[in-house]
Amino acid sequence: MAVSSAFKNDLLAAIPNLRAFAVSLTQNADKADDLVQETLVKAWDKHESFQMGTNLKAWLFTILRNEFYSQMRKRGREVQDSDGVMTERLAVHPSQHGLLDLEDFRGALEQLPQDQREAIILIGASGFSYEEAAEICGCAVGTIKSRVSRARNRLQEILKISGESEYGPDAISAQVTGSNAA
Amino acid sequence: MTRQHAGVEPAASRRQGASDPLGPNSEIGRKLKQYYDELLSDEVPDRFSQLLSQLEQAEPLQKKEG
Repeated sequence: MAVSSAFKNDLLAAIPNLRAFAVSLTQNADKADDLVQETLVKAWDKHESFQMGTNLKAWLFTILRNEFYSQMRKRGREVQDSDGVMTERLAVHPSQHGLLDLEDFRGALEQLPQDQREAIILIGASGFSYEEAAEICGCAVGTIKSRVSRARNRLQEILKISGESEYGPDAISAQVTGSNAA
Repeated sequence: MTRQHAGVEPAASRRQGASDPLGPNSEIGRKLKQYYDELLSDEVPDRFSQLLSQLEQAEPLQKKEG
């Protein structure tokens, strides 16, 4: 019983993270919670395959991600491929004061191809290393790096920010950048 | 060879350091965390703890051998 309740507590603690990742993948709160539920059941069944002392969160994320893609395949939906998506259809303009609205950001994130979105979430938000993210996604570290970098560029493009221009009109930040860079 | 020097647009984004392009100095990095933190702070529905309690009762885990 001790094994059960310890594992249960570990799973409970991981739920907020699993839900956040699931929402990022599915873009839908209901689907996300179904996915988390499925992940918990699978994790319980596969408990034996978890190596104590290794990263439980990464193990759970791997299960969740596999489940997500297998559901997508069952539904016969093609996983979006990086080159097939146009980002220009919904360009977002930052508000006058230059601050980027969270809603805008969410919209931009939705426009990313699936593989880029999951990569930038794992690295930039979930706190995984490139190595861990590569393991979770079953691909090479270099692939994760390039997806993250493409995702970031794409987001900047959609949100029309140059990375450092958040404090004012482009002209001003360009001047500052220019003088600092000497 | 020196095509990307100061003042040209790529310099600005590069200078932040390829080491941590999503760090606290990057607006994308900050927004990403803000987006994610909001999701993290979302209250967890009871169905999950109920599910785990059911699993615990129905299928108690065995200690692993070796």
